[in-house]
Amino acid sequence: MIALADLLYRWPGQAAACLDIPRLEIAAGERVFLHGPSGGGKSTLLGLLGGVAVPERGSIELLGSDITRLSGHSRDRFRADHIGFIFQQFNLLPWLSALDNALLPCTFSARRLARAGNAREAATRLLTHLDLAADAWHKPAGELSVGQQQRVAAARALIGRPEILIADEPTSALDAPRQQIFIDLLLAEAKAEGAALLFVSHDERLAAHFDRKIALCDINRAGTVEP
Amino acid sequence: MNKLLFALLAVIYLGQPVHAAPYPEIKWEALVPKGWDPTRDLKNLNLGTLQDSDPRAIEALEKLKALWDNAPAEPAHHGKKIRLAGYVLPLERDKAGKVTEFLLVPYFGACIHTPPPPANQIIHARSAKPLAGVKMMEALWVHGTLTVQRGETTWGVAGYRLTVDKIAPYELPQTKK
Amino acid sequence: MRAILTLAVKSAWARRLTLGVTLCAIALASALLFAVERVRHDARQSFTQAVSGVDLVVGARSGSVQLMLHAVFRAGSATHNIRWESFAALATHPVVDWAVPLVLGDSHRGFPVLGTTPDYFRHFHYSDRRPLVFAAGQAFADVFEAVLGSAVAAELRLEVGDRITLTHGMTEAGPGHDDKPFTVVGILAPTGTPVDRGVHVNLESISAIHLDWVAGAPLPGLAIPAEFVKKFDLQPKEITAFLVGLKNRADVFRLQRHINGYRGEPLMAVMPGVALDELWQTLGMIEQTLLAMSALVVVIGLAGLLATMLASLNERRRELAILRALGASPRELFLLLTAEGLLITTLGVAFGLGLLAVGTFFFAPLLQAHFGIILQWRLFAPNEWLLLAAILATGLVASLIPGWRAWRMSLADGLTPRN
Repeated sequence: MIALADLLYRWPGQAAACLDIPRLEIAAGERVFLHGPSGGGKSTLLGLLGGVAVPERGSIELLGSDITRLSGHSRDRFRADHIGFIFQQFNLLPWLSALDNALLPCTFSARRLARAGNAREAATRLLTHLDLAADAWHKPAGELSVGQQQRVAAARALIGRPEILIADEPTSALDAPRQQIFIDLLLAEAKAEGAALLFVSHDERLAAHFDRKIALCDINRAGTVEP
Repeated sequence: MNKLLFALLAVIYLGQPVHAAPYPEIKWEALVPKGWDPTRDLKNLNLGTLQDSDPRAIEALEKLKALWDNAPAEPAHHGKKIRLAGYVLPLERDKAGKVTEFLLVPYFGACIHTPPPPANQIIHARSAKPLAGVKMMEALWVHGTLTVQRGETTWGVAGYRLTVDKIAPYELPQTKK
Repeated sequence: MRAILTLAVKSAWARRLTLGVTLCAIALASALLFAVERVRHDARQSFTQAVSGVDLVVGARSGSVQLMLHAVFRAGSATHNIRWESFAALATHPVVDWAVPLVLGDSHRGFPVLGTTPDYFRHFHYSDRRPLVFAAGQAFADVFEAVLGSAVAAELRLEVGDRITLTHGMTEAGPGHDDKPFTVVGILAPTGTPVDRGVHVNLESISAIHLDWVAGAPLPGLAIPAEFVKKFDLQPKEITAFLVGLKNRADVFRLQRHINGYRGEPLMAVMPGVALDELWQTLGMIEQTLLAMSALVVVIGLAGLLATMLASLNERRRELAILRALGASPRELFLLLTAEGLLITTLGVAFGLGLLAVGTFFFAPLLQAHFGIILQWRLFAPNEWLLLAAILATGLVASLIPGWRAWRMSLADGLTPRN
């Protein structure tokens, strides 16, 4: 599903490389915990996987296509069609309702709209699975609690059954009791949809229940901390 | 590139005669019939010695004014195409502000403030096509057909009319050093 | 792309307070610019079209513009009247084809009354030699008969056969000539000039209604009933001004000089076209200055929009990153911001034009009554299309800046902005 080979990325103007990854492979449906300190190149890696940045060297194969060979526009399309993102916070457009936020990927990608079937039903189903009460669905996203917002973000990432899910510290803004609950919900949904999940965090304690755990510093030969 | 330049120059040079030939230039003096001399009767008066308020001076002035007001036109110009430069006084404008009728005079300020020109130095011009961008007291070249009107006055021919074909801006000729 | 634009509208709506203020600024600025241009254009046109085929306007010696404004546009007032003898003498000058006397000073319900002769309807032309045409009835022939301009008849709902009374002076609150009512015998077709707002009567009528008046007020106890007026000599002793048409238009200078130097009383003869051209040349500088200032105000309004959008960009970095993660390209984000700026500009101008329409509705009658300027009802004149294009183009250029900033930001931030 995801295959990095001989990846080299250097920040503009920097002499030393930020990322130097000879190999990283994630199979379809595999749920991987990537451990990395805050900073330290993981944001850069996620940007490369998302196709917003292009490496100096190497290949990034997603679903069999090397996205480094695609044009910027095609990479944007690919990202819209095949990848769902969850960030640490501020995932949502605050002036849209929770439901409309969850539906966003279906307006950006015809493929995901098609795979969702009845988009509204799919969104409400996901929100229910993620334990978001129905009375919260139509509220503007800015009025929801952080925990509720993260769940909506998860629903948005999952809708239309993208093949790849990338979560960047999604629980860091949540308080401790809720963190594990959120992770379990996410893992269950990923499994149900058959999506590959790459979960990045600095907190190793959350790594239980994942199929595989990787440390970024193990696979990244460039040891420097991001400026 | 050279071919283009040559073609351009050819058009300019060949265009010129077509431009100028049908409208020969006429000077304002030519509009005055030969032999008309309004000061003829006044030559015996020694105007230099008279005061402004002297009744003879005033009478002479009145006579001159009357003669100027009834200055005759030269009938030989009737029907001729001419090109003449003068100052414009708009009389009528259309809805878009373009001038359709105007008076053409030989010098600037032929208006309230200075004595008006003699009658044979004022041309009443009309243009079938409204003329754009014409301002009062602007100096223009006017191309058109001159006609001499027969008036009902006791002094015979009354004045010049012009049917305007086109106008062009007037530029002062370069003086040679 | 459509998804982006829908989001753009919703995003703008979420920020409607700040954007609304900017929109109002642009609306007011546009309204101002268009108003200045429109008044400038219509004033010029009103003035040049008000009279045609008249060689000289003659009145007491005052300012040429003042005489024109009063005699032709029925605005303002005359400083002094001129004697009937002067008019009679000059009307017989050999170069004169026709001469029409004018008497002003009375009004009906705010509309100026013009005392003149039936020759007025024959000789008075406007707007490129158009004659006056009767929509109903005919010219006055007797005392106490009136011919109405089209606007008077329309606004007061008067028809041929109705009766009206006149008021002394130009306001409705002046002393009235109620004992001597007039009958409407004719209504003129619309001309788009001050003629439409005039009530035309013959000279004798003006004398008749003032028979029992002295120095602008009725004499108590000396009222002369209407039926007896004809026993008196109704020839006016003074008139306000008169219009002259020549047999040969080139004779205008000599007659003008003759009238200016007339020994009977101090008179002034004005060539209408020349007087107006002189006026416009003087006003030209003011016109240009006003236009320039209004244009500057529009630029300021757009600068406000630019400032608002740039300020909001910082708050919206996360928003842009979210869109990026969802699949928007940097180019789409550039278009998003630019479209938003252009949308606000266009809406602002549209509101501004609405304000202009409202303003025109309220102020046009005032402008016409006081200055003789007739504002035309139209969507866009040719010169105004250019203004509109200029404003929208400037708004577009201003919007390109936040668009470019958004493009740069999205490239630099990737999916995780540093805030």
